[in-house]
Amino acid sequence: MSSFVSGSHIQEYASQHKISFVEAMCALLDDGQWPLRFARNEKIVSADTLKALLKLKIFIAGAGGLGGEFAAIMARTGAGYMRICDDDRFEESNLNRQRFCTELTIGQPKVAASYTALKEIASYLEVDPHDIRLDPGNLPDLLRNMDLVVDCLDSLDSKRMLAKAAQDANLPYLHGSVLHQEGFAFLDVPGRHRLHMLYPATEHATGVGSILSHTVAGTAALMSALLVQWLSTRQANAPIIHGDWSVPDLNRFEV
Amino acid sequence: MSVHVLVSSTLRSYVPGYDPCNGLDVAVETHTPASLASQLGIPLNEIKFVMLNGHYQPLDTPLQDGDRLAIFPAVGGG
Repeated sequence: MSSFVSGSHIQEYASQHKISFVEAMCALLDDGQWPLRFARNEKIVSADTLKALLKLKIFIAGAGGLGGEFAAIMARTGAGYMRICDDDRFEESNLNRQRFCTELTIGQPKVAASYTALKEIASYLEVDPHDIRLDPGNLPDLLRNMDLVVDCLDSLDSKRMLAKAAQDANLPYLHGSVLHQEGFAFLDVPGRHRLHMLYPATEHATGVGSILSHTVAGTAALMSALLVQWLSTRQANAPIIHGDWSVPDLNRFEV
Repeated sequence: MSVHVLVSSTLRSYVPGYDPCNGLDVAVETHTPASLASQLGIPLNEIKFVMLNGHYQPLDTPLQDGDRLAIFPAVGGG
């Protein structure tokens, strides 16, 4: 039977032992003491999975629709580190679907607004924001010391570039993409390259157009579920998940 | 023979009256996903991949009676 410890208790433990808040949570989990903030995650997520997530260095490409929703979900699930890259600023047309776009953040760099919002959810969360356009030249450095690449970019060409960089860095690649009322999510461990199977040729398609908030949030939730499942099982055979929110319906495809 | 067809997002505009809840049951005159898409009026250059009975398959895969075919465009938004 687990007991639960408050944030102030965790902070006290961290100060006493001269360790970080995240390290303190991991140590207390080893002792059967769950952070109270994750009390409703217990019995669904194991202590080992939560510790793995707290230690995971997550690289998130894109801080708009999918990126913002995914980051928010993972902050509440127990992520401990995120490096977030995007060179855009929030604008009024983002209000319908982008998690950290509010009337107050319009005009702000997306990564700066995301940093503030994520810290409000979890102050211990290490957020490393980069207001930068990703390219093949800067990706190797940005991916150094990361454990997972999360694709929330908004064009197939940029997604192909990111998947290639993940492949070169031997990192797992978590894909999300949306169009109209549909979305895809899958996680490729090193050695699997399903994006390049689906789109073998250069492809200039983007998601610019009509997209509803629940399509973006639902697809980000699928991505998050795939990540938690992978951390729990380390099984690399999960299918591609397709969500169609016009029905709504979910499909599993083997590629 | 008959094939159950699901048409995705932007491709639905080529199939008047398409009902996403039920899809389409198509009496197949021809025998591959590519020819079936042409029969429906969907431009082949807008189809990026198909899933046949839940599995990724090439566009020239022979169809069988009762197959379930999903047809997708490029999905690249974030």
